Amino acid sequence: MEELAVVGKSVTRIDAEEKVTGQTVYGYDLVLPGMLYGKALFSTRPHAIIKRINTEKAKNYPGVHAVITGADAPWIHGETIKDTPFLAQGKVRYVGEPIAAVAAVDEDTAQAAVALIEVEYEDLPAYFSPEEASKPGARAIHEDYPKYHKADFIVTSPLPNVCEHFKLRTGDVEQGLRKSDLVLEQRYRVPAIQHAAMEPHSAHAMVDDSGKLTVWVPNDAPFRVRTETAEALGLPPEKIRYINPYQGGGFGSKGGLKVERIAIALAYHTKGRPVRVKFNRQETFVSTSTRHGAIVRIKSGVKSDGTLVAREITIYWDAGAYSEKSATVCIRGSLPSPGPYRIPHVKVDGYAVYTNKPVAGAFRGYGIPQAAWACEQHMDDLAKRLHMDPLEFRLKNIFVDGDITYWGEELHNVGLKETLLRATEAIGWGKTEKLDPKGFKIGKGFACISKPTRTPTTSNASVLVDGQGKVTILAGTVEIGQGCSTMLSQVAAEELGVPIENTRMHPLDTDVIPFDSSTTSSRSTFHMGNAVRHAAIHAREQLAQMASGILQAPEEHLRFSDGKVFLKKDPHHAITLGEVIRTQLGPDGVVRGNGSYTYELGKDVDPQTGHSDHASAFYMYATQAAEVAVDEETGRVRLLRVVAAHDVGKAINPLNCVAQVEGGLAMGIGAALHEELVVDNQGRVRNPSFLDYHLVTSLDVPEMKTIIVECPAPDGPYGAKGLGEPGLAPTPAAIGNAVANALGIRIYDLPLTPERVYWAIQAATD
Amino acid sequence: MKRPEPFEVFQPVSIPEACELFRKHGPGGHFLAGGTDLVIAIKEKGLVPRYVVDLKKIPSLTGIREASDGSLTIGALTTMREIETAPLIRRKYPFLAQSAAEVGSIQIRNRATIGGNMANATPSADVAPALLILDARVKISRSDGEKIVLLEEFFIGPGKTIIQQGDVLTEILIPPTPPDFCGEYIKFSPREMMDLAYVGVAVGVVAEGARKRCRDARIALCAVSPTPIRTRKAEETSNECKPISDVRSSAAYRKEMVRVNTRRALLNAAAGYVDNLSWTARRDRRYS
Repeated sequence: MEELAVVGKSVTRIDAEEKVTGQTVYGYDLVLPGMLYGKALFSTRPHAIIKRINTEKAKNYPGVHAVITGADAPWIHGETIKDTPFLAQGKVRYVGEPIAAVAAVDEDTAQAAVALIEVEYEDLPAYFSPEEASKPGARAIHEDYPKYHKADFIVTSPLPNVCEHFKLRTGDVEQGLRKSDLVLEQRYRVPAIQHAAMEPHSAHAMVDDSGKLTVWVPNDAPFRVRTETAEALGLPPEKIRYINPYQGGGFGSKGGLKVERIAIALAYHTKGRPVRVKFNRQETFVSTSTRHGAIVRIKSGVKSDGTLVAREITIYWDAGAYSEKSATVCIRGSLPSPGPYRIPHVKVDGYAVYTNKPVAGAFRGYGIPQAAWACEQHMDDLAKRLHMDPLEFRLKNIFVDGDITYWGEELHNVGLKETLLRATEAIGWGKTEKLDPKGFKIGKGFACISKPTRTPTTSNASVLVDGQGKVTILAGTVEIGQGCSTMLSQVAAEELGVPIENTRMHPLDTDVIPFDSSTTSSRSTFHMGNAVRHAAIHAREQLAQMASGILQAPEEHLRFSDGKVFLKKDPHHAITLGEVIRTQLGPDGVVRGNGSYTYELGKDVDPQTGHSDHASAFYMYATQAAEVAVDEETGRVRLLRVVAAHDVGKAINPLNCVAQVEGGLAMGIGAALHEELVVDNQGRVRNPSFLDYHLVTSLDVPEMKTIIVECPAPDGPYGAKGLGEPGLAPTPAAIGNAVANALGIRIYDLPLTPERVYWAIQAATD
Repeated sequence: MKRPEPFEVFQPVSIPEACELFRKHGPGGHFLAGGTDLVIAIKEKGLVPRYVVDLKKIPSLTGIREASDGSLTIGALTTMREIETAPLIRRKYPFLAQSAAEVGSIQIRNRATIGGNMANATPSADVAPALLILDARVKISRSDGEKIVLLEEFFIGPGKTIIQQGDVLTEILIPPTPPDFCGEYIKFSPREMMDLAYVGVAVGVVAEGARKRCRDARIALCAVSPTPIRTRKAEETSNECKPISDVRSSAAYRKEMVRVNTRRALLNAAAGYVDNLSWTARRDRRYS
């Protein structure tokens, strides 16, 4: 293989300058000519029948163009279970559910009119815990659940309020536990947290005279949301156009129909004028989506030599009031929940359960962080009872090349062991000083994960080369801040041999850009990287054919570099790409290369056994380690150092990989030590602002060391896997293990706030 | 966020003019200093002022001055950032500078004023305990003259002070302290910065002689009572404060943290000042 020119280099992000100089227009900044401003009325009750809505006063308020309720927008949507009304249909299921909406000449007028809408409720009993809501005899939050349209992989349950039941059955867990020398059962809990992207949610929508719906929204899956919209509205997809402005962070929150559906519903009542709906921070906290709170029961049997024999897991995923992505979070979060270990007897039951709480959805990591919080701490406790070193215990059981997993897949290109060894080495595992100079308890811990990606999925791309030698990339990957536009530019520049400055990304518009599944699940580098690579190669082949005539040389003797084509043996015999096109196609000629990539082998997991011989196009492996100092008198956990070793296959842009991991670590540290969306016994979110919902600041993040491990995936572009999600997945468990290592006390619930740690210390000393 | 109802804004250039505006226009007026509390109250908490009197055109309300006896006068419109950075404060009362530095972000501290902060009487105000252990007083101007009261007697409840309609808080006065006086402020909150105090403890000790015999000890707290308080029954701080449970932490935990952090603050204060200590280094002393 020839040496790579731009792939593998830490080139500066192509969007860096416009972003740091404030020129970038994000979705939230967008202004459209003639637009109206929408605001929604949200439920104040967790579970109630709407007896009556009176919108008369709002309709008569000066400056109001439209006031709508569920009756005016009788549409139901849902990616896998069609259970979510655009606006409440006769009942509400959580505090914060949109009931009605107003479009007016400005936002203040819309808000003032919203305040004039009167709603009369009849309260129903509400559930705030997935365990309570799924107890036999509990009242159904969705009475019509059996009748809902569902994706064919959904597994229903006789238990009430369960919207998906994931089952994994391998071997015989009962027998495995009986054969074990040691059995340990524990219960861990993870609260709901919110994505808290810097940019709150907003959408603009317009219906033109032809009936075509256009939506401007920073959504992470424009084609998927177009399908979901088309199915809800009963329109063919070509009557719907999604235009994607820059996104100011998403982390999974900006998918599906959230603020979008309010803007769309209003647009059907504003006669050709666009409507903007912006959520403020409080609305973003309460009425978009959260990460699933989860309760994880884990039971393991192990031989006295440290060999894992059996593992039984039950996870209750708190779906909140609507299914959103709960079914797939439940499937893909529960499937690898026993951890990246060889275990012959495994039984997993994952239940996604409706409750009367804010809707839970996709969140960076897709269920892996919750499962890892339980599994990785459980592993340390097993090691402790076996009197084994946790590292040795894991090395004895972790996935390595050629292993058949408990879901029936043979693994290859497993970089897990290298991440484990390098992360623990970097943290100085085994060299623990128990006291720091201030008398705090010092501890170290680590945790490892493997994360699958959604499979099978498809990416398409086109690459245009014009008579000036400029390259335009048409790809449906959304720049959510992760750096995809730089990565894809590097791939195109590499294959066409052009300077990266000569490439640009075409704005994302579903009427122009070819189909892409989504910018989720850490899939873009692998899938879209392949599609753009194929498209660039396709363009290069056409250019080579053209140039071979001009340069009087066979194609295989040509080389592309620095914007030119030349003979490998005689680099001075060169012609620029622009000249090739101008000569062959005229001054306005364009060469278009097309590329497509689908991971063909991918197979959905079997709904009865959870088995699949290709559950994921690739797996991401990571080990993170932390060193903490615990102030026993206050319970405060101070992070001293964190180390993150990630197997990325091949780092297309190493600097961007480090940035992605560091961003993930900061988020994981927040989840470990601070973040919890507090819902009270009336279903109200008590901390929907940055005053009381604590994200980490730069001062809360310690020295970070990122180790890039490259265990190439043969199917990935240049060997690349993915990296978007794993950065935060093992972090809380690594910190939890470090705290347990420091104190000798296991804490089962997140977050590890000073108060929680303090009372745990008190309880242990009593 | 809701659209504020229209209101009138006045910009007097002297204190008597400011007092007169209130006498003339009657109830429903609010003073505007930095605006970091007032604007949020209007936009997000439903406060509807009839009119607003902006104090920022009054020149005599700013500045930090030291008298020959060592007493300090701090103009009410002095910003938190000025308190944090003023060489005079940093040299004389580094814990006071630190307590100002603990407030919000630099952007907030560039706007927020010490007078506005005291007049708002937030139970968690970081600067209040530091001022309380300095026996600080506030000067209040009204149309019929001036009065000076102890800060300790100024606060009467959450958001409530003895200020009456039309009174202007003009100055914070800090009387001279004994030569061996040493103070310390510890803000206890889960996040390193940009957080409200769960417990704030300021202590001052006067330690005499080589054996550091403690002649005087003062303790003040914030975030654990309806107002920032001076705990006169100093050794029983945990009983004197009356914290509440809220989304941030439980009352029981706050009481425990008062005990722990008061002891730490006293030990730090007794150890004396360290010259040229950055405020972040000062702050890290909360962990020792």
